[in-house]
Amino acid sequence: MKQKHTQSYVTTKLTGSDKGFNLVVNLFMAFILLVLAIPLWSTITLSFRSATFIGSYIEGMFLPPWQWSFAAYKALLGNSGFLLAFMNSFKILVQGVAVALLLTVPLAYGLSVKNLRGRKWMVIFVIIPYVFNVGLVPAYILVTKLKLINHLSSIYLPVAIGTYNCLIMKSFFEGIPNELKESAYIDGCNDFQVLIRIILPLSKAIIMTIGLYYGVALWNDYFHPMLYLNKDYLRPLPILLRNILLAAGMNEFVEAKAFGEAPVEAIKAASVFMSAIPMIIAYPFVQKYFTKGTLLGSIKG
Amino acid sequence: MKKRLTAVSVLLLVGITLVFARGGKESAAKSAGLTKIEMWYNATQTEVGPLPNDWVGYKILKDRFNIELEASSLPSSTTDQDMKIQAAAAADTLPDFFVANREVWLRLAKNGMLADVTDLYKKMPNRTKIMFDQDAINFTMLNGRSYGFATPSMISRNEGVLIRKDWLSKLGLAVPKTTEDFLGVMRAFTFRDPDRNGRNDTWGYGAFIEVTTYEAYPGRRFQPLMGAFGVEGTWNMTAANFGLQIHKPEFYDFMKYMKTIIDEGVIDPNWMAYKKDDFRAAWKQGKFGIMREQNAAYAAKNNYAPFDANFPEGEWIVVDPPIGPKGKSSVGPETRGLRIWCISAKAAEQGKAEKIAEMFEWMATGEGYLLCGWGQEGINYKMEDGIPVSMPGDLGFEGPIGQTYIQLRSMAFNYSSDAELKSRYPIYITDVSKKQMSALWVLREMQSKKWTNCMGADSMPVPSTDLKTFYEQGLAEFFTGKRALTPENWKVFIAEFDKIGGTSWEKAGFEYAKANSYLK
Repeated sequence: MKQKHTQSYVTTKLTGSDKGFNLVVNLFMAFILLVLAIPLWSTITLSFRSATFIGSYIEGMFLPPWQWSFAAYKALLGNSGFLLAFMNSFKILVQGVAVALLLTVPLAYGLSVKNLRGRKWMVIFVIIPYVFNVGLVPAYILVTKLKLINHLSSIYLPVAIGTYNCLIMKSFFEGIPNELKESAYIDGCNDFQVLIRIILPLSKAIIMTIGLYYGVALWNDYFHPMLYLNKDYLRPLPILLRNILLAAGMNEFVEAKAFGEAPVEAIKAASVFMSAIPMIIAYPFVQKYFTKGTLLGSIKG
Repeated sequence: MKKRLTAVSVLLLVGITLVFARGGKESAAKSAGLTKIEMWYNATQTEVGPLPNDWVGYKILKDRFNIELEASSLPSSTTDQDMKIQAAAAADTLPDFFVANREVWLRLAKNGMLADVTDLYKKMPNRTKIMFDQDAINFTMLNGRSYGFATPSMISRNEGVLIRKDWLSKLGLAVPKTTEDFLGVMRAFTFRDPDRNGRNDTWGYGAFIEVTTYEAYPGRRFQPLMGAFGVEGTWNMTAANFGLQIHKPEFYDFMKYMKTIIDEGVIDPNWMAYKKDDFRAAWKQGKFGIMREQNAAYAAKNNYAPFDANFPEGEWIVVDPPIGPKGKSSVGPETRGLRIWCISAKAAEQGKAEKIAEMFEWMATGEGYLLCGWGQEGINYKMEDGIPVSMPGDLGFEGPIGQTYIQLRSMAFNYSSDAELKSRYPIYITDVSKKQMSALWVLREMQSKKWTNCMGADSMPVPSTDLKTFYEQGLAEFFTGKRALTPENWKVFIAEFDKIGGTSWEKAGFEYAKANSYLK
């Protein structure tokens, strides 16, 4: 006999004030979208502007695509310095995220174990450098004494364990039911195996999220490479980007054609946009974990 | 299988980390008898890429001078340069030879971190003859000894007042001379449609805010207007009338003139919002007809090309700065823009100072000079009538690859010789209007105008951030009308300015100028 399933829907009739509220919220969100989208669009269109363009900034933003010029991108991609810097940034990103996660995950897990002796003091010990910054000179001296100057590792090792990231991760690990770990111990696992076999498979979201945090920070880092990398061939994209942005020389003294016929503003915009591309590509893939990871950390307790 | 894959991935990541930790190969060779010199330099064009490892100068220095040079470029902004040098100084890891500004130099010299180079000048006869006059040597003197080599880092007097001659002709106007003439031309350029496009889209004066230590707010682009009232620059550097220009009564007259320009709407209204590139894009788009601009930014081929394409009939001319009511005029304050090459005390202790002097002299003489300035003959340049001319293609010193080979140019150039300038600013024919142009002609014209000698003004004490903000915001409030420009309000503003540090700043400036013999 066929059983009939009835599905009931709860419908709520929106009152006038509800509709008004929704309209205000939507308008506000549209405004936020515009605030974010306009500078991005402005940068993109600026990067496609030709040297002979006449018009205001706003007119430039509505320039039809068939009037776009690709000279800036052609010039950047043909510039050996740009590709070298891009590769250096990529190496720093891959190595840095790997090392940061390799160090942060065990520390966060260790600190999340409630019966760890001296746990409270260890947490305080981790928090101290977060509250009291060591300062530029001591950090520089340390990196020098460790002989890390002119090593890409000098960029990511000193920041390999971010206190904030570590605490978020710790708080996530604390939310994993203890029973899961206990049953693993009963099955004969040691602490390391519990971390690898039980905790990590359940922590993809937070690992991706924290990995993204580290990745973005390393990708955008200008200060540490500027300080610790003296060799020109080691310098990553943010250094080159800043050089381009500050390049008075390109604008004033160039009888030369550093970047071909492309206008300076277009070169600057194109380099900003190109340096953001890897992060723009990465975000959609990490987004599902990212939302979950940030929320999971926040509802504990 | 999955676990193995995970394990292999982790191992791979660790492996990659270890393998690439240095990021790449270092090319420097090591062999006995060589003096290794680590040098931090200012790249000529930081954005085009580093000095290549196959730069022939490395080999010459090694084979002929037994010097193994390890050159690294400093960051492009001077703030970052200062930070990097000072961090290295704190860790006692200063390079052997490096370039710094005077403020950092002074700090390092006082802390005994720099070598005394007084006796090295005679080991560099050619460079000393070309670059180190008494003013330059005094610039690096401390207790009667010299602790660095002050070298020029720019062409002096390379800016000027430019006016659209084609607009003047169309409107039947003469070249303006006085501040009143200038005001009249600004009005005409704004309200009489000088480009004949039927739109009210042009202005008289164009500028943007470009503040330096010696050109306080509203900055460099307004100096010709300030000069007409005798208040150009941050400081009056004369012994008779030393002080902050803002304290001079004539500064109020300048303010009134500025206010007239702003209130009448004869200045491009975006002057407060423009950045350098916006400003340059604006004149290339024909937005205004009077400006202060740099010679090459205006007349070098690539920079002039968009204007030429947009206005083939357009023409700018260099004119004298406006003459004020008391007969004063000036394009602006002139400094020499000296940068100091320093030898670290550690390098001197290791016996490297003489080798460094040897290398420095080579870079200023004959083969080394040509190599640093233009690259290799036949590859990066060819000689035409004694002037190096770029080879065609990417390897020419004007091409994207060729430029990387002349990154040490600032170490060699004195920025004033005919060969340098002619090579740097060749005569060319514009693409569209087929005019003959040269940024050198423009430079010579600009250099012939009246400037105010303010040697040392660029190294004077700077105000605290709060005081600087107060100064700039205060003037901006008068300009925008937020505060009425009346003698009473001006007096109150100056009193407030003095109270929060203006007087002490001026006093510190006087002490400094006196101690460094900058008072004229």
